[in-house]
Amino acid sequence: MSTILKVNSINVYYGNIHAIKDISFEVNEGEIVTLIGANGAGKSSALNTITGLLRSKTGSIEFNGENISHTPAYRIVSKGLALVPEGRRIFQQMTVKENLDMGAYTGKDGFEKKLEEVYTQFPRLKEREKQVAGTLSGGEQQMLAMGRALMSSPKLLMLDEPSMGLAPILVEQIFDIISALHKKGTTILLVEQNAQAALAVADRGYVLETGKIVTTGTGDELLNSPAIKKAYLGG
Amino acid sequence: MKFLAYLVSGISLGSIYAIIALGYTMVYGIAKMMNFAHGDVIMVGGYISFIAANYWGLPTVVSIVIAMLVCTMLGIVIEGLAYRPLRSAPSLAVLITAIGVSYFLQNSALLIWGANPKAYTPVVSGTLRLFQGQLSISYVSMVTVAACIIIMIALTLFTSRTRMGKAMRACSEDKGAAQLMGINVNFTISLTFAIGSALAAVAGVLLCSFSPTLMPTTGSMPGIKAFTAAVFGGIGSIPGAFLGGILLGVIESLARGYISTQLSNSIVFAVLIIILLVRPAGLLGKNVQEKV
Repeated sequence: MSTILKVNSINVYYGNIHAIKDISFEVNEGEIVTLIGANGAGKSSALNTITGLLRSKTGSIEFNGENISHTPAYRIVSKGLALVPEGRRIFQQMTVKENLDMGAYTGKDGFEKKLEEVYTQFPRLKEREKQVAGTLSGGEQQMLAMGRALMSSPKLLMLDEPSMGLAPILVEQIFDIISALHKKGTTILLVEQNAQAALAVADRGYVLETGKIVTTGTGDELLNSPAIKKAYLGG
Repeated sequence: MKFLAYLVSGISLGSIYAIIALGYTMVYGIAKMMNFAHGDVIMVGGYISFIAANYWGLPTVVSIVIAMLVCTMLGIVIEGLAYRPLRSAPSLAVLITAIGVSYFLQNSALLIWGANPKAYTPVVSGTLRLFQGQLSISYVSMVTVAACIIIMIALTLFTSRTRMGKAMRACSEDKGAAQLMGINVNFTISLTFAIGSALAAVAGVLLCSFSPTLMPTTGSMPGIKAFTAAVFGGIGSIPGAFLGGILLGVIESLARGYISTQLSNSIVFAVLIIILLVRPAGLLGKNVQEKV
């Protein structure tokens, strides 16, 4: 298994607030890796640093052997890294299809084929193709955000709190889709507050607390660790 | 017949406002700022086309193209030097900078071209007379209305059909998410300023053909009125800018004809205030409700 993403001791600040304290982790090809932790632990900041929306003061981020820590955010997606951002952030006033079109902004080749794939994965989106995205339900918006990211055929798909604000049945559905994508060979970096669900699908996990990685292990190890159970899984 | 004459002159005046308002509204939609220097870019467009036609003796069409090119460059330079460094600054700082750029352009024009008004030669001359001469429509009016409609349609197609146009709309909604899609936000904003400024040059040429005195302050009042038109129609909306511009022109022309020339501006702004009281987002403005 080769390492696709290697995050090397990054430190991120918001003004005076030290949000990420010397974090290192890696994702290997074909894995689902999850970063779990409470609100404000630095999970989203870590993802935003990888995509270039935030900058680390130290360390490096290597993707496919290339140092991307100084690459502008808009060049990241064409390298094969796509982020489904927290809160979905779909383009509300554009149609479903236009949103997917934007997902394929950097690579126009094979647009129809990719669109077909995304529609097969999310038949709901095809039904709503011409609808303005802001009128979709929360679950549909999450599917659109995931479909939009998949339109760039990423080598690594990063998901930031995909279950946020969704009803339990939809959470289950979203995690089924994540598993399905993984089976098809997509490498996934998943950030979640829903530790139980995330660890159940993940190969490995990292636990973040106030900006630091405190534990790491396989999904099962973490699920069964008494300390994790107590802190995150409700007993 | 008098009414028809006022209406026609209102529509053509309104078309000029609409072309200027389209520039305001596009820049606002994407950069979320009021570019108060926009009116002065119109004035620069007027001077450049005047110089190209009268001093260098170039054909009218060529002088318009030169004015558009110069204004496009000017728009890109203004954005890059004055606004880009303030991208994450509070909006008041950007607003004050825009006012500063406006005065800078006016005073530069004063320095270069002097305070004396120049007599602008209209780009087209002649008048069409209808109903045994009772109604006369100048060719300039017709060209203005045609130009406005063509620009409106072109912009609508550009933003709804092309990849770049859609990227612009994506940037106007969420710059962070747009970057995640691979859209270069700085380039997109520059492009918006370039398009807006090229439109300002066209508006400058038409405005000076309509009322042929060219001064360093020529762009200020039409600029403010077009800004009003853009807000009136719903800021950020392309059809809104068009509708707002035309309505403003018609109201101004009717007020001037039937009520009072001196009061026409006050009446225009009074109508605006009333409409905004009833519809705060403007005629075609969207009251965006964010889903959390």
